[in-house]
Amino acid sequence: MRSYEKYIRYRTFPTPWCPGCGNGVILKAIAICFSELDIKPKDIVVVSGIGCSGRIPTFFNTNTLHTTHGRALSFATGIKLARPDKFIVVISGDGDALAIGGNHLIHAARRNIGIKMILVNNGIYGMTGGQVSPLTPQKFITETTPYGNIEPKFNVAELLEGARASFIARETINRPKQLKEVIKKSFKHNGFSVVEVISNCHINLGRKNKMRDPISITKWISSRTVTKSQYESLSPEQRNHIYPVGVLFEDKNRLEYSDLYYKHIVPAAQASIPQRRKQNGK
Amino acid sequence: MEKFEIKLNEDALIRREIRKPSPKKNKLTVKKIYCKGCGLCVDICPTGTLLLEDNKKSKFGVSVKIDVQEYCIGCGLCESRCPDFAIFVNYNEKKEQNEKKASITGKHNCC
Amino acid sequence: MRRKQVLQGNIIVAKAALAAKCNFFAGYPITPSSEIAQFMSRELPRMGYDFIQMEDEIASLGACIGASLSGRKVLTATSGPGFSLMQEHIGMAVMAEIPLVIVNVMRGGPSTGLPTKPSQADIMQVRWGTHGDHPIIALYPAFADEIYSETIRAYNLSEKFWNPVVLLLDEVLAKAHEDIELPRKNDIHIYKEKIHRIKDLNIYDREIGENPPRVDFFKGYPIHIDGLEHDKHGWPTSDPETVNKMQTLRMQKIYHYLDEIVKFKEYYMEDAEIMIFSFGVSARSSLAAIKMAREQGIKVGLFQALTIWPFPKIPLKERFKRIKKVLTVELNMGQTKYEIERVSSDDVEKKALLRANGIPFTPKEVLDKIREF
Repeated sequence: MRSYEKYIRYRTFPTPWCPGCGNGVILKAIAICFSELDIKPKDIVVVSGIGCSGRIPTFFNTNTLHTTHGRALSFATGIKLARPDKFIVVISGDGDALAIGGNHLIHAARRNIGIKMILVNNGIYGMTGGQVSPLTPQKFITETTPYGNIEPKFNVAELLEGARASFIARETINRPKQLKEVIKKSFKHNGFSVVEVISNCHINLGRKNKMRDPISITKWISSRTVTKSQYESLSPEQRNHIYPVGVLFEDKNRLEYSDLYYKHIVPAAQASIPQRRKQNGK
Repeated sequence: MEKFEIKLNEDALIRREIRKPSPKKNKLTVKKIYCKGCGLCVDICPTGTLLLEDNKKSKFGVSVKIDVQEYCIGCGLCESRCPDFAIFVNYNEKKEQNEKKASITGKHNCC
Repeated sequence: MRRKQVLQGNIIVAKAALAAKCNFFAGYPITPSSEIAQFMSRELPRMGYDFIQMEDEIASLGACIGASLSGRKVLTATSGPGFSLMQEHIGMAVMAEIPLVIVNVMRGGPSTGLPTKPSQADIMQVRWGTHGDHPIIALYPAFADEIYSETIRAYNLSEKFWNPVVLLLDEVLAKAHEDIELPRKNDIHIYKEKIHRIKDLNIYDREIGENPPRVDFFKGYPIHIDGLEHDKHGWPTSDPETVNKMQTLRMQKIYHYLDEIVKFKEYYMEDAEIMIFSFGVSARSSLAAIKMAREQGIKVGLFQALTIWPFPKIPLKERFKRIKKVLTVELNMGQTKYEIERVSSDDVEKKALLRANGIPFTPKEVLDKIREF
C-alpha cells in the first residue's frame, strides 16, 4: 500500500467523473503532497464549492465540507479563524471561484489568510452541461454561446497580483510530477496561496470544439503553456495566447492574517481593559 | 474501440520499436475494477508498454492492458497520471489484500 | 439589590450573547444593527476570541457556519436587506444541522425601504425565506429583560436542536436605551451537552426524539458535511427511502418538542372576552391600551407571543374555545393575521390593526380599534 492511500476514502469509489478527467490527477497530486508533508488526516479540512471539482473532497479521508456555489472561501475563513493551527485546503472550479465567488477570492487574497487554494480551470461549467465560464477562450462554442464566445478571458495571475496575493502559481495536468511539486511548495507557504491547475473537459468543452477525446485536448493544453523561462524569451506578439507555468510570484514577508490578529489585536485589546474591570475580575 | 483509441495503440507501438527490454525488473499492477479505459497512461508511457483493449466486463467497454511487462522502465508517469488509482508501479502485494477488503464500491449520484 | 443599568437594546443582545459564552462574530455593518458588531469588535478580542468584518452578509454567514463546525458559538447581526442575502446559507445550516444564532433587527421594507424606522414585516420571510422544506425557530422579545433572556434561550435552543435560530427585534427597541437589571451568572442557565468523541461515521443516525452528538470537526473521526441530501454518514445520496427518513427527522426534531420551544405571555386573560394577539413593540402599545380599556370596563386581554415560529397554534386553539373575538395588532400589511385565520374557527370574530409606514401604534389607536368590537 502506498503511503498516500491512507488519505483516500476508498469506500466512496468509483469516482463519478468521465474517463480521462483531470480531477482525478489533482486528487492524487494533493494526496501525495499530504503524505510527503506528513500531516495527520484529522488535522486537515478540505472545503469545496459546487461543480465537478467540488466532488473532489468526498474522496479524501480527512474532514471535508461541501458548501454552496462560490462561497467556499468564506467557510474556510471561519474555520481558519476558529482553529488557526489546522491545515485548510479549498478546491474550487473556475466558475465557482471567478464568476459567483470572485469577490471572496479578492478579499481572501487581500487579507492573506492562511488557506491553500487550488483553482481547477477547465474553461467551462462542466457539471451543469457545458455553459460558458469566465475562462472560456474566445470564439469557442458552448451550450450558452452557440454562435461563439465574444467575452475575453481573465488572466487569473494578474487579477491576484492586483489583489496583492502572496503566492501565485499555475500548472497543468499534463505534467503531474511538476504539479505535485508546485502544490507542495504552495502548502509550505505561510499565507494565502493559489495554484491554478489547467484541466481538461473533453466531454463538455472538447466535443463542440473538435477535441472529442482526452488526448487531443491535453495536447491542445500543452501547446498553450510554456515554462517561465521560455515565456520570457518570447516576443509580445507571440505571448498572445500562451501562458507561463510554474511558481509565478512568491512573497515570503507578508504576515498571515491569524498571526497578525493574535500578535497585534488581542494584546492591544487586553491592554485596553479599564483598570476597575480588571479589579472586578471581568 | 473508437478511432482515437486505435490511434493511441498505434502510437504506442511506434514508440516501442526503438526501445529494448529494460535491464531492471519492474512490476505493474492494474486494478481492473477502477480502470475506465481513458488512455492517459497509454499516451504518456515512453516505452509503449501499455495498450488499450476491449473489455466486455467493464461498463466503459475498454481498459488498459500490460502488453510487454519487460519494457517497463519504472518511470512512474503512468501512476502519477492515472485519475482513478488504477495502475501502480512496484506495488506492495501483501498489503493489497487488506486494502481490497476496505474498498467497497458505493452507489454514487451526481447533483 | 443589583445595580440597574441603562443600556441600548443592541448592547443588551451583545451582552447576553457574551454571557451565553459566544466566542465568534462575523458580520457586515447595516443600520440599525451595527452597534452589535461594534460592541463585539471591542469585547471579543479582549477575551482572546475572534471578530471579523466580512465583505458581505453571505460571507458572514459562511464564516459563522465554518466556525460553528469547528466548535465555536457564533453570532451574526443584520437587518432586512442582509437577511434576504443570507437565505441560502440558512438553508445550508438547516440541511447540515448546524447550530447558529442570527439577529434580525427589522426595519421598513421591502428593499432599501426605511432604514431608520421600525416595522414587523419580516415574519413570513423568517419562516419561508429559503427554498425547500425547512423548520426554523424564531424568537421575538418585547421588553428589555426579555431581550436578554430570549438571546440566551436562542443559544440553548440552537445547541439542543441543531438548527439555526433567528432572534427578531424591532428597530425602535434596538436603538432605545432602557433600564435593566442584568441577572447574576449563577441565575443564567446555559445548555451544556456532553460532547461525544465521534467514534464512527454515523453522525446523523438517530430516531425521532433522540439528540445525536454535535457535529464537529477535529473531535475524533474525520467527517464529511454536505449541502446535498445525505444519508446517516453524511455522504450524498438520492435514494428515496433514505431521503424521506432524513427529511422527516429534520422536521420532527422541532415539532416533537413544541412544549419546550413555544413560549408566550398573557396579561389580563382570566376573564377576557376580547383577545389581542401581538408581539414586539406592538405588544407594548397594546398593553397600555388594555389598561385604559379595563378602566372603561371592556374585558380585554393580551396574548404576547415570545416564540413566533413554530406558531403557538395549540395554546391559541385552547383560548379560542372560550374567547370569540380576536384582534391582531402588527406593524405590517398583514402577515400573522393569516395565521390567526388558519388557527381559529369560523365562529370567532377576527379583526386586524395594520400599518407599515414606520410609526409604531399609539395606545389610543389600539383602544379605538378595540371599541369597534
